Amino acid sequence: MLAMDQGVVEEWLSEFKTLPDSAISTYAASLKDKGALVPSLYKVIRENYSDLLEPVCHQLFEFYRSGVPQLQRFTLQFLPELLWSFLSVSAARDPHTSGCIEALLLGIYNLEIVDKDGQSKILSFTVPSLSKPSVYHEPSAIGSIALTEGALANHGQSRVVYSGPHLQRETFNAQNRFEVLTFLLLCYNAALSYMTTTSLQSLCQLSSRVCICGYPRQQMRRYKGISSRLTVTSEFLVQLITGIHYALCNGEVEVGSKALDDVLYRAQLELFPEALLVGNAIKSSLHGAALKSNNKEGTRSIQVEITPTSSRISRNAVTSLSIRGHRWKRHDAVDLGSPDELMDISEVDEGDWPVGLGSDLTPPTITISNSVTTLNLGIKAIKKCRLGGRSSKDKEAGPLAAVRAASESAELSVKRLTLTSSQSVPKAGALTSLTRTASAVFSRSFEQVNSGNGPASNHVASEAGRYSCSLQEDGMGYLSPMPNHTQRSPSISIHLGSDL
Amino acid sequence: MTTRKSGSRLETEIERCRSEGQWDKIPELVRQLSAKLISNDDLGELLLGECKLQAYLKENPIKQGSSPRGPRLKLVEVRKHLTAALDRGNLKPDYLQEASLLMAKLCYVEAEFREALGHYGRVNLDEMQLAGAPVYRLSMIAEAYATKGLCLEKVPAGSPSLSNKNSGSPSSSRSTTDREQEIITCYEKSGDIALLYLQEAEKALSAGIQNRSPKPGPTTQEQELGYFLETGLQRAHVIHFKNGNLTQGVGRFREILRAVETRTTQNLRMTIARQLAEILLRGMCEQSYWSPLEDPPAVSPLDDPTRQGHIYIKNYSLSRSPRLYSGENLFCPQENTEEALLLLLISESMANRDAVLSRIPEHNNDRIISLQSASVVYDLLTIALGRRGQYEMLSECLERAMKFAFEEFHLWYQLALSLMAAGKSARAVKVLKECIRLKPDDPTIPLLAVKLCIGPLHWLDEGEMFAKMVIDMGEKAAEFRAKGYMAIGLVYSLKATDASLRSSQEEYQRKALGAFQRAQSLSPTDHLAAFYLALQLAVSRQIPEALGYVRQALQLQGDDVHSLHLLALLLSAQKHYHDALNIIEMALSEYPENFNLLYTKVKLEAMCRGPEEALLTCKHMLQIWKSFYNLTNPSDSGRGSSLLDRAIADRRQLNAMTLPDFSDPETGRQQVFLLIWDFLLSVTLNFHSGKTDALKSEVYIGMSKPAEAAACTQEAANLFPTSHNVLYMRGQIAELKGNIEEAKRWYEEALSINPTHVKTMQRLGLILHQLQRYSLSEKVLRDAVQVNSTAHDVWNSLGEVLQAQGNAAAATECFLTALELEASSPILPFTIIPRAL
Repeated sequence: MLAMDQGVVEEWLSEFKTLPDSAISTYAASLKDKGALVPSLYKVIRENYSDLLEPVCHQLFEFYRSGVPQLQRFTLQFLPELLWSFLSVSAARDPHTSGCIEALLLGIYNLEIVDKDGQSKILSFTVPSLSKPSVYHEPSAIGSIALTEGALANHGQSRVVYSGPHLQRETFNAQNRFEVLTFLLLCYNAALSYMTTTSLQSLCQLSSRVCICGYPRQQMRRYKGISSRLTVTSEFLVQLITGIHYALCNGEVEVGSKALDDVLYRAQLELFPEALLVGNAIKSSLHGAALKSNNKEGTRSIQVEITPTSSRISRNAVTSLSIRGHRWKRHDAVDLGSPDELMDISEVDEGDWPVGLGSDLTPPTITISNSVTTLNLGIKAIKKCRLGGRSSKDKEAGPLAAVRAASESAELSVKRLTLTSSQSVPKAGALTSLTRTASAVFSRSFEQVNSGNGPASNHVASEAGRYSCSLQEDGMGYLSPMPNHTQRSPSISIHLGSDL
Repeated sequence: MTTRKSGSRLETEIERCRSEGQWDKIPELVRQLSAKLISNDDLGELLLGECKLQAYLKENPIKQGSSPRGPRLKLVEVRKHLTAALDRGNLKPDYLQEASLLMAKLCYVEAEFREALGHYGRVNLDEMQLAGAPVYRLSMIAEAYATKGLCLEKVPAGSPSLSNKNSGSPSSSRSTTDREQEIITCYEKSGDIALLYLQEAEKALSAGIQNRSPKPGPTTQEQELGYFLETGLQRAHVIHFKNGNLTQGVGRFREILRAVETRTTQNLRMTIARQLAEILLRGMCEQSYWSPLEDPPAVSPLDDPTRQGHIYIKNYSLSRSPRLYSGENLFCPQENTEEALLLLLISESMANRDAVLSRIPEHNNDRIISLQSASVVYDLLTIALGRRGQYEMLSECLERAMKFAFEEFHLWYQLALSLMAAGKSARAVKVLKECIRLKPDDPTIPLLAVKLCIGPLHWLDEGEMFAKMVIDMGEKAAEFRAKGYMAIGLVYSLKATDASLRSSQEEYQRKALGAFQRAQSLSPTDHLAAFYLALQLAVSRQIPEALGYVRQALQLQGDDVHSLHLLALLLSAQKHYHDALNIIEMALSEYPENFNLLYTKVKLEAMCRGPEEALLTCKHMLQIWKSFYNLTNPSDSGRGSSLLDRAIADRRQLNAMTLPDFSDPETGRQQVFLLIWDFLLSVTLNFHSGKTDALKSEVYIGMSKPAEAAACTQEAANLFPTSHNVLYMRGQIAELKGNIEEAKRWYEEALSINPTHVKTMQRLGLILHQLQRYSLSEKVLRDAVQVNSTAHDVWNSLGEVLQAQGNAAAATECFLTALELEASSPILPFTIIPRAL
């Protein structure tokens, strides 16, 4: 260490000691201007055997204890460097342990785990819920919220503890080491915006080293310090990742991404799901955003562009919303259901008759005509068929109508309808031929199948023959002549043929 | 208002068309209008000019980031109409203003920025009435402010313009700041009025639909904002961020988001909500946060210190502002993660709604877009919830992402990890299987699955399958290859413990040993590989070899708790009890609250220093237990709070503990206490409930009055009638009291619940021996030996039974085996050390 650095540090040590209490706040504000001080202090911390280390640690603790935010942040900026110094010494099982660094870290920890009244601090936050109005939304506009178990249990907001209460610690041991260090990182992360670039770089370096020392990757990174492995916990890595994320987004792209890679590497080797989860998410979310490594100090790489406000998703694509809207339509169609409407079913089928299928086919008719009363063929279904029927008629009506019809039938495609029928049970043997011959694809889920499909008449009175059919017309253009019923194993898809 | 009052049906219709942007209908309406009154001609010119300009812009939209292209042939006509409307001066003042605004807009389109500013100078935008204005005029004013801002950005500061008359003076930094301020104010006003316009337009539209005939209007399609309104809504915050003025940018974002949403602003809101969440997560921290309803801090570390000159002060107020979300008990976030979460949940609900479900090729692009916008939101949700340790909620959110997840590895993997972190192990394994299918080359995934299978699930066959996947990858698995061998070794080792037949036990032990050896040779610097090899050797009673490897493990990782524990147990197996105790005490200095270590310490102390010291350690354990639960209770409020999870994890670790054997018939009170303590432990292991403390006091009573131990056990039996441990305890108490028959009954019940509980079998065997039912006793003891062939006391009991039956040769063999095993028997079984990846 140069004499100059030593001079700067010694001056800093003596100046604070003689400071009257009233001058502390002005002193805190003036710390920023002492340009040579911070680098000199880093040197003191890195050189474990410096005589200055003990008074420096002591003064840093005094700063923290003062409660003045600027002074506390001044101490916090050295936290990554202090952590590394502490961890490397304890990993090397060096008898000359730097007790003063340990004392400083424990001191900060013990100050932070209690509130002003000396009670254990419990850090909690509210999990917002969309079912409660907020400054940004009204629950009614969100639409239905999935009724998961969790959603029900947390109807409304709930307060969740994420850290604390913690026990006072007098010494470090293998059991509490990472508990204390994780909490200290949490404190550091709470003040990230106030940290200098040097501090952020030091954090990234700490992360890399903690994660790769003793592993093959250490050679790759050409780090020659200690070579024994450091035990880590998943929570500790998650806190490191939080800091790295900030560094990555605030100018430290190079060291930041290296550190993130190293943490992920270690998390994989240790099979830590938490760290992998958060690390992967950060990697993937930054993948699209090209991060700019700014040379100017302190520039943030948060940039926003004007984005088009119109939806980039084309209107006729079936989305969750369009389906939801659809179901809603289905409910109010109660006034239909006359036999006339039923005839439209065959019309639809005719309209969508695939070209190229032989002329030996007679149009499929679902002969349920005279039994409307016994049929629970969903009114909704009929209405839907009718809609489809119209669309096929509209084809001749002009291009405009056709477009509309197309979008309508595209919406139809996903709608399922249930028809419970005591009739129209196909012949057992006819099934295969049916498959080949029809147009509309009905998938039937058998609730109960009559053995061998029983007597093959149009009037199977059997209770067992309850089928629910779902109409799968996939829009007009996309109807394939061969059904892909192999994919939907629990239900059987058949094509209805004329011989029903 | 004036226009509307005097408005005929025709005028109302014109107003409606202008508000709804149906420009194609205007010419026809203008024809009808002119037919009525000649004085309407000027208005007609205005309307024709407007509709032609709008039609032109619709056909040739201005793209963001591009400059207007100068005069166009088609626009000549527009200029003619507008000039005509303006020149004659017959228009009502309102219409005159409108004509000027349209003229200015035309000038901008033709890149005549100075001229445009001239027009804005003539019409005082700030004095235009917002209250009571027809909807279309709100849009006009909003566009006018945006256009003015655009023009001001194009015209260099300090140059003569009518709004800023410091002509001639050189551009000083003062005027630059003023200019910047003016530009931003223009955009912010434009944005505010645009939001107001959209709210009003939507209100008018829904009112219109209700009033009109049931046939739905043909114009229900979404309105598009167009270049000018889009700019007005967004340019202000873009400039703030460009200037490094994060505080103002965030403020502007919040203003836009707090305005009640309209159909048209949904996408904008989704984008802005996401961007704001990104800023909250990437650029802010707890200390630099301020809540949406607070004033921003005067000095913030978020603002770029190098650009202090660009401070912007919002200094306008509009006569009418967009409606904000309001009401009682509105949730307002108080912390950056809270706000980020709220915004992300809102974005998520929108992204989810836009999930493109159809898989036809035509919608491929749409699907990719919807997937991308959703993944960004889910990634940010993961970051926010992960930071707070809320994995349970996260797994529920990611479950909702599954509608996007078809063949999307990232979403599947994240779901699997979140389920794992939330402790939903069985489901996690199922999802991991899908991940393996999507990415068969990644060794981490099957290893994660093995971790769950041998840990909480105890699905050893599945675990074996996953571990083999890693091994089958061979060299490709790189650093994970050793881990794969370790995984399969653990599976075999656990299978060996579970196996009921001696032959299969030995087979699994052999396989486990082989796998651990392989792992150790592949990764000689991994302390875990050396440790598990040592543990496996210890289980197979190869004590000296085990000692060698455990020393190696300790050289690699000096403070590994399991290695230290194993070392102590190995020393105890060699009957170096004092050395073992020293090691345990050393380990305890690093892990003072580790129950496994404390338990071993109790046993060793009882051996070396007598029961009194052991009792002290017991008391210490109880104290730790108590403080541990006192500490946990207050934080029980939330689900999945990390501390609670830790408690559960610790409990799992304790589950591996076995109960003390109760072999001395002449046990003293201390032994009873030990027994009760163990029982207490087993109670708290199985459930941790408020009853713990009540039970504890009973334990102390039980200590001084042995009779009450039975009452305590009775209580426990009421709580856990089906626990074989409780039944075993009751049997022991009965035996203590001399009730052999009763003890036998308890032991039989215990075995009916857990037929392979060796200790119960041994006790039952002894009792049967006492009752002189030798052959049955022999049968039970032989079964016990089958289950655990290293239990030397069972071998001993078996020998005694055989001797009593007169089978001296077999008895001798049993005694010899017992002796041999006893020589290598640790103070507690080696399997007390947890085996996990």
